[in-house]
Amino acid sequence: MKSLRQVATRTLRAWAARKFGADALPHRIARRRIYILPTGFGLVIAALDVAMLIAALNYNNNLGLAFAFLMSSLALVAMHHCHRNLLDLCVDVAPEADGFAGGPLEFRFVLGNESSLERRDIEVRCGERGAALTQVAARTSAPLAVPLDAAPRGVIRLPAFELRTRYPFGWFRAWTYVQVPLTVYVAPQPAGLARPPAPAGARGGVNAESAGDEEFAGLRAYAPGTPLKHMAWKVLARGGEAAVRNYTGFAADPEWLDWSAVQGQDTEGRLAQLCRWVLDAAEARKSYGLRLPGLELAPTAGFGHRLACLRALAAFSSGSRP
Amino acid sequence: MSSAALPMQQRVSREQLSATAGCLLLALLPHLPGLRWWIIATIGVVGGLRVLLALRGRDAPPRAVSALLALLAISMLAVKFRGFSGLAAGTALLTLTAGLKLLETRTRRDLCVIVLIIYFLALTALLANTSFLLLGYSLLIAWVTTASLLCTTTTAQDLSPRAGLTDGARLLLQALPIALVLWLFFPRFAEPLWHAPNPDNAATTGLSDTLSPGDITDLALSDDVAFRVHFRGAPPPAAERYWRGPVLYDFDGRTWRRRDAELIASPALEPQGPAYVYTITLEPHGHNWIYTLDWPSSWDLPRAFLTPDYMLIQSSPVAQPLSVTATSHTHTAASDDLGAALRERDTRLPPGSNPRTRAFAVQLRAQHPEPLDYMAAVLEMFQTEQYFYTLVPPPLGADPVDEFLFDTKQGFCGHYASAFAVLMRAAGIPARVVTGYYGGTYNRYADYWLVRQSDAHAWVEVWIEGRGWTHVDPTSAIAPGRIDHSVRDAESASAALGMPLPGRLPWLRELRLRADALRELWRSRILGYNQDSQQRLLAHVRVPDPDVGKLVVVLAGALCLALAWLTWQVRREMRTPPTDAAARAFERLCAKLAGCGLGRGASEPAESYAARVAAARPDLAREVVALCRRYNELRYGRAARPADLERFAAAVRAFRPRGSRASS
Repeated sequence: MKSLRQVATRTLRAWAARKFGADALPHRIARRRIYILPTGFGLVIAALDVAMLIAALNYNNNLGLAFAFLMSSLALVAMHHCHRNLLDLCVDVAPEADGFAGGPLEFRFVLGNESSLERRDIEVRCGERGAALTQVAARTSAPLAVPLDAAPRGVIRLPAFELRTRYPFGWFRAWTYVQVPLTVYVAPQPAGLARPPAPAGARGGVNAESAGDEEFAGLRAYAPGTPLKHMAWKVLARGGEAAVRNYTGFAADPEWLDWSAVQGQDTEGRLAQLCRWVLDAAEARKSYGLRLPGLELAPTAGFGHRLACLRALAAFSSGSRP
Repeated sequence: MSSAALPMQQRVSREQLSATAGCLLLALLPHLPGLRWWIIATIGVVGGLRVLLALRGRDAPPRAVSALLALLAISMLAVKFRGFSGLAAGTALLTLTAGLKLLETRTRRDLCVIVLIIYFLALTALLANTSFLLLGYSLLIAWVTTASLLCTTTTAQDLSPRAGLTDGARLLLQALPIALVLWLFFPRFAEPLWHAPNPDNAATTGLSDTLSPGDITDLALSDDVAFRVHFRGAPPPAAERYWRGPVLYDFDGRTWRRRDAELIASPALEPQGPAYVYTITLEPHGHNWIYTLDWPSSWDLPRAFLTPDYMLIQSSPVAQPLSVTATSHTHTAASDDLGAALRERDTRLPPGSNPRTRAFAVQLRAQHPEPLDYMAAVLEMFQTEQYFYTLVPPPLGADPVDEFLFDTKQGFCGHYASAFAVLMRAAGIPARVVTGYYGGTYNRYADYWLVRQSDAHAWVEVWIEGRGWTHVDPTSAIAPGRIDHSVRDAESASAALGMPLPGRLPWLRELRLRADALRELWRSRILGYNQDSQQRLLAHVRVPDPDVGKLVVVLAGALCLALAWLTWQVRREMRTPPTDAAARAFERLCAKLAGCGLGRGASEPAESYAARVAAARPDLAREVVALCRRYNELRYGRAARPADLERFAAAVRAFRPRGSRASS
């Protein structure tokens, strides 16, 4: 039974993906893309209604008949409201999320409701990995963080996500698929030892801790997580884009976090060690580069770089070793 | 993983449990009179216990307790009712299940089960009692139960009971037109799906098919409605409004009966005089005969037939209100001779019974050889001698007719009819007793005649050669104008029996007639809505040759219309303009800007919208940014004063973006 249902769901999802193609964000839920079916409770209500109808017909009782018809009409009305609960809802999401193996993972959705009715019990499901429920008041939008199950290191790609609702009464379930691929980069859980200090000769005699922040190396776009003292406030005040002053240590003094420098462990162990070093280096606001088999990220600093390194670690597959 | 997504498995809150328990109590109230005391006690105790536990923040008792209780209750039910069929047993089972389910309620799913039972209890209450008030009460139950279900099944934290009631009412109101369409056009069956078990309260009322001395007394004091009659055209004169019920011909010395096995073909009667067409609507009386005006000649009930003694009979008892349109003639004639078998049957008297009466009859017949003279002599005896009409006659012994005629001389219609028929038979004249109703009260508020149980009557039919069965009402010999006298008599009777009689004051009587007119309307239009009414409705909307097939087509069409209305209604609800003055004015502003090709995006915040407009139209920037800031202050700042709102609305009205730069 369960497998039959899974097969049906999979077929429907594949059909919807073929028919409607990829969606753009923010996505507005269209009438034709909402599917609706009775739930188990809804089927029980239907059975109750048939029983009421038969009882009333059998006693030839017009009042009983009226009551039974009122209940069946209520079910029809509930079906309409279940459908409209999703209709014209606007969904936005940052389609990429990051996290660490075994740690918390989540997608942040924004649900926009322009209608004059509250949307109740809107459930967003990211495949079988996570779901969350929220209400969206009339003419507002509401954020919704959907937590995902903890996962091992790797990249999780979800071809689409789903919005569901059972409001009102839980007699019907309406749902829709939003064909926006979601990606979660699960970096390794950092482990291992701190990086031993490099020989003094290799660093050109410059104290990295005092020099690393001092060299102004131009502006780059703002990314969340940048220390506030690095913000280019003057640029912002002139009405420009939020920008960050980029500082680096001496260009001649890059710190290479190298796969080949981690010895004597399996792949995951080595990645965990590299992850620890990346985080340490980012914490110390050093300039660092990452070398993995088949991939090299040039030394630099900043949040964007840290993210790129972590994603590279998450996406690394041993098959790509040279 | 997705536990947040399954509200049904969440624990119930104190409020949810109390609300559902309250709904259950409301749904149980109409059933209380029909429930055994131990069932009420069980539900009261377990339900009260569970609500108390919930109020103290405690969980349900262990499952073993409720399982044991359930086992006990169900086995008790099985023993007491010997099975679970029938309305009373079904209702008892349902109510017990609901109470026990309440006791073991832990999750919201449990409450949903109780809600199902509440809906069904509301329905069974309507099956047992079809009053207007109960329908209103059932709708009230449906409303509060639906609201409580709404609050139970949603995870919206701020769904207050008040919001639940509002939204529940909205949903039910939207369901009403669809329900109305279904009710109007859903095909009714002429016959029930299978033989309906008689509702337990539909015991036989009114006249029975036997007549013993003292039988009609309780009816004479009953104000219950027997039936209502609407005449098409003028009604017959008062003296001819005899409503024919059971015809009794088998006499055992005390009791008159009829035996269907003894029906003998009777000479046909030729209707005489004017034909009266009328619709008679019977209250359920639990017997299979249908009262008609003396003498019926045609009727529109295909499953009913006329017996040789002119009783209209149908195969099943009248368990529901029944309407029949019939034609009758108050005068008949018969040219044929009464057959020997029938003559023998209708002059038969049990040997040895009522000897004094028989001797008297033989003696009197000798003085009056003509049957009509003899009848007149008997009636004159009733009139001139000290015969009294009373509803509380003295009890009669082994030969009741003897004692009544010669000793007590007190009785009412049953005594006189019985005595008269015996006197006729003893003199060799075929006679039979007819029971039914006489007269009725005209209700001018709805143009019908109301016949109550207190109008119950008995009279005699005598076979006169050349005239056929002739109607004789011996009671009228003693108490002419019996209707008026019956009031006084009934009052003395009620004093004697220590029972008050309702509504003898004129204004009260008028009020009661008005109330009965309303009841009649309710009964005929709502409760009596049936296959014929549906076909008349179809004919009214110009459907040619209405039948069930066309009814289904009309139903489908009307249902499509109703659903289209619902879709439109729901869309309209979604687009209701905001009630908040600031939001309304802001929407106007957005509409004006949309006219320049600068519409506000889906749930775009006012501030970023202003920035976007400012970037696209520097000439409008100052004004738009200021208005948007003002809007945010009014909407989300501290409570806005009406004057500020007014000024904001005026500013929006005054705002006129000139043309679209993009298009110029």
